[in-house]
Amino acid sequence: MVDNPKPSDFAIEVRQLRKDFGVLKAVDGVSFDLKRGEFLSVFGPNGAGKTTLIKILTGLTRPSSGTARVAGYEVEEGRSEMRREIGVISHSPALYADLTPMENLVFFGKMYGLEHPQESALAGLEDVGLAARRHDRVRTFSRGMLQRLSIARAVLHDPSILFLDEPFTGLDIHASNVLKEHLQTLHNNKRTILMTTHDVSCGLEMCDKVALQVMGRFAFFKDIKDVDKENFETMYFDAVRNNQFTMGIRSH
Amino acid sequence: MNLFLSQIAAIVWKDFVTELKTRELFSAMFIFALLVMLIFIFSVNLSIVKASEVGPGILWVAFLFSGTLGLNRSFVLEKENGCLMGLMLVPADRTVIYFGKLISNFVFLTIMELFILPLFMIFFNIDLIEHLLPLLLVIFLGTLGFCALGTLLSSLASNLKTREIMLPILLYPLLVPIVIGVVRMTGQILAGEPLSEMMNWIGLTASFDIIYIGVSIMTIDHILEE
Repeated sequence: MVDNPKPSDFAIEVRQLRKDFGVLKAVDGVSFDLKRGEFLSVFGPNGAGKTTLIKILTGLTRPSSGTARVAGYEVEEGRSEMRREIGVISHSPALYADLTPMENLVFFGKMYGLEHPQESALAGLEDVGLAARRHDRVRTFSRGMLQRLSIARAVLHDPSILFLDEPFTGLDIHASNVLKEHLQTLHNNKRTILMTTHDVSCGLEMCDKVALQVMGRFAFFKDIKDVDKENFETMYFDAVRNNQFTMGIRSH
Repeated sequence: MNLFLSQIAAIVWKDFVTELKTRELFSAMFIFALLVMLIFIFSVNLSIVKASEVGPGILWVAFLFSGTLGLNRSFVLEKENGCLMGLMLVPADRTVIYFGKLISNFVFLTIMELFILPLFMIFFNIDLIEHLLPLLLVIFLGTLGFCALGTLLSSLASNLKTREIMLPILLYPLLVPIVIGVVRMTGQILAGEPLSEMMNWIGLTASFDIIYIGVSIMTIDHILEE
């Protein structure tokens, strides 16, 4: 049965999750819980498996082994129902370049089965400050505007859990600050957020829990109040340096 | 069921709005089909060969080759900006994506074919008016089979770097039964034979249409998943 999710205080429950691509272990035995309304920042060098983890938790790819429950649904079994509860923002905006923001959001509103897609789309555009540009083609938008529109798309159906895959990639300081404000508002509205990022100061500033993923594994997972930020930064940069060294050895 | 249909309608609506704005798909398919016909006209001596004998093959080569252009473009649009990922995240059965794209491809190709038919009539000096209804049935069956299989394979090929090459390589061999059926039927129609004479071909083509759609429904989930 997929219609009745298992009641739980946890928005995300992950047990011994693994994903292999041949000999490469992209996700290697990851286990963690995230309570409803919590914000988890996952740091890690390139190729650590952060994006694969998000793809598994959002039902875009199947795990090789292990289990994961999101909003009470098994990610493999109850995926359609689970998808009503989640929103995803990644470095690709998932927006049609030749449509206007309004047309994009109305389209996704219809796909989510919203009763009033036009009204919801307009409200979403007003929330992210793009209502004035609602009739311009998305193709003409800057990276920062695309990311704001991407937020409007991801929260259009009012999901309780948000997955953010490196949302600050390619943004200038102003656009980053605007995005950060939007994310803070979403978090204040009691949404559960799992974000992967390379931006240490930003990630640590907003989160309740911190994880460091290295070579598929969670090398570190703690409450933000138990984290010494300076030590964490050092640890993160060491992980990135070691990862580059390891990747260098692998490529030779 | 209602949501299922409205989600399919939303995908078709989105594809139509995009096409109305860009006009990339229709113009490319139409010009290509026209060029194919023109090349054949100059290469075939119609005073020796009967137009009703070579015409069906030329017509379907034009339809299928130009249709392949459209199919190639169809899922490329979805891959741009990660839109396919956005579609796969909505609470919908993956067959919604397949049927939405299938209907869009089918309608675009049918519109192009309706524009090409009068030109075919003029270039080959064939009177299609009296055979129009049976011919439209054959075009419907052939286009449906082509789009049913083509939509599935274009979703598969869209993940490949060599998608423009891979789609025809995968598509044309599997289309052989339908191509033989529709070319034979078009020839018989142009020769003035009634539809009742070609029920075997109609049955064969319709069966392959159903098989292609059935296989697509069963496999699209795995094909779209990364």
